[in-house]
Amino acid sequence: MLDRKVSVREVRDLGAGNYLMVLRSPDQARLARPGQFLMVKCCVGVDEEPLLRRPFSVFAIRAHARTGNPIGMEILVKNVGAGTRKLVKIKPGQELYTLGPQGRSFQLPEDAGKKTSVACLVAGGVGIAALYLLARELMARRVSPVLFYGARTARELVLRDYFENLGMETHYATEDGSLGRRGLVTGPLSRFLARSSRNGLRLYACGPWAMMRAVHELALDRNVPCEVSLEARMGCSLGACMGCVVQTSDSSDGAHYIRVCLEGPVMDSRKIDWNCQPL
Amino acid sequence: MAKIPRKKSSEPSMEVSIAGVRFKNPVLTASGTFAYGIEFAHLMDLNSIGGIVVKGISMKPIEGNPPPRIYETASGMLNAIGWQNIGADEFVSKKLPALQQFDTQVVVNVVGFNLEDYLEVTRFLNDFPGIAALELNISCPNVKHGGFHFNKDPRDTYKVTAKTKKASPRIPLWVKLSPNVTDIKAFARACEDAGADAISAINTLVGMSVNVERRRPHLRYVTGGLSGPAVKPIALRMVWEAAREVKIPVVGIGGIACAADALEFLIAGARAIQVGTANFYNPAASQQIAQGLKDYCQSHKINNINDIIGSLQV
Repeated sequence: MLDRKVSVREVRDLGAGNYLMVLRSPDQARLARPGQFLMVKCCVGVDEEPLLRRPFSVFAIRAHARTGNPIGMEILVKNVGAGTRKLVKIKPGQELYTLGPQGRSFQLPEDAGKKTSVACLVAGGVGIAALYLLARELMARRVSPVLFYGARTARELVLRDYFENLGMETHYATEDGSLGRRGLVTGPLSRFLARSSRNGLRLYACGPWAMMRAVHELALDRNVPCEVSLEARMGCSLGACMGCVVQTSDSSDGAHYIRVCLEGPVMDSRKIDWNCQPL
Repeated sequence: MAKIPRKKSSEPSMEVSIAGVRFKNPVLTASGTFAYGIEFAHLMDLNSIGGIVVKGISMKPIEGNPPPRIYETASGMLNAIGWQNIGADEFVSKKLPALQQFDTQVVVNVVGFNLEDYLEVTRFLNDFPGIAALELNISCPNVKHGGFHFNKDPRDTYKVTAKTKKASPRIPLWVKLSPNVTDIKAFARACEDAGADAISAINTLVGMSVNVERRRPHLRYVTGGLSGPAVKPIALRMVWEAAREVKIPVVGIGGIACAADALEFLIAGARAIQVGTANFYNPAASQQIAQGLKDYCQSHKINNINDIIGSLQV
């Protein structure tokens, strides 16, 4: 984890308030693991408001065209609040304080070898940002990732071209039926699971709490491993302030809390008390 | 291994002394914002600051409050962490030795739900070397018992301070005061009368924020402690009042984010300062402030930082 002031290379409007930002930072790009995040200050001055940085998944790594070395990182920013409102107005050439990459990354299965293994990647809305690096790493280990991506409407199913360009099997779901199946993404997922062998099957999910809970329950039902990437309002992101906690499932002797920034953001779904949603 | 710095004759002296303990400069980090220090070691030079005040320690581990525990507000933030900490045993075995590798003082903030809790953890810590002071946290607004409740009446503050002082023969005792009182001078006096070696002020101010879509508070605990630049004018006024009231040193806390902020507190009478919320968005803030104070002394031809402490002209 490094703290750097990085140059913004590109800000691409993806529609529906979503933006892809490209940050130039070779040192940090080299270190990024699937599921890790960056804590980005949403304005140029370190003392400017809003004060607290915001966490963003490292969506993709930009490589140098000639050498192939990592030189930058891409993050998905949705304009939803005081911080992101300012962040999406940042212009290429401006610099942002960026801390990371940090946090617990996705656990990857050993190289599957001859045996085909399947991994279901389940994304809800901006949760898609946590899963692209994972998809690439899984393919490198000869695990077939299958994408299940849901949102309210087709315009919000951003960045799906990245996954389609990997040649992955994809299933979309929208609440208004404008793309893919009408309804929640767990619909196509559960139908897929019902017709799949559970041998070598793994689930990975990132999205709204209720969606990840539903994926967790499907994982329990099929007795397969499941990891989720959580989101939380963060203070320090270093494990110091104890602000970003979730309640754990092992609460027989009282509630226990673990930090999304340090013991997460990726967690084994069985570790979480899904009844205790931090609102 | 402490290095003996070679000082050029033109370099200002940044050392301050609190209850006989030397701090290489007046900059410390505030409890609850810097964990046990080591978490920040790769982002700044821990040897560059005068001291670290670690997260409040209780005898037994405390789990803390259910989330959400933090919420950002204008020029600051609310927190209702609830004293989540690893407990004294794990602190002294896992964290204290690592901290002592650095050339900076370690102040241990102590918490408790009742008087006996404070006394127990104080006695326990008195058996360990390398602790520059204990900072008695009787001012936290985020727990239902203890803490806050000793800071409602100066007589309670006197009692808990006097008893804890007796239980701490080897380690100086600082008392961290709450700003959620009518007259901080009365509490400062009570601490001095009870034998406190120093006062630190302020802890957080009780505040609240509401989610208008859900019609619920943003914090699960409903209220929380406000910190950050928003509280600086209040903190500064209280530090000024306390410093005029007592002879024991006052350590200033509240919204300090840069060297100029720190200077305001020193000029108003603080012997040293603590940097809190700023650590979250600028992990090297305390190091930058320590350097900034030195730069100020050099450019203003001040030979000794103590010359400006309490130099406010009214």
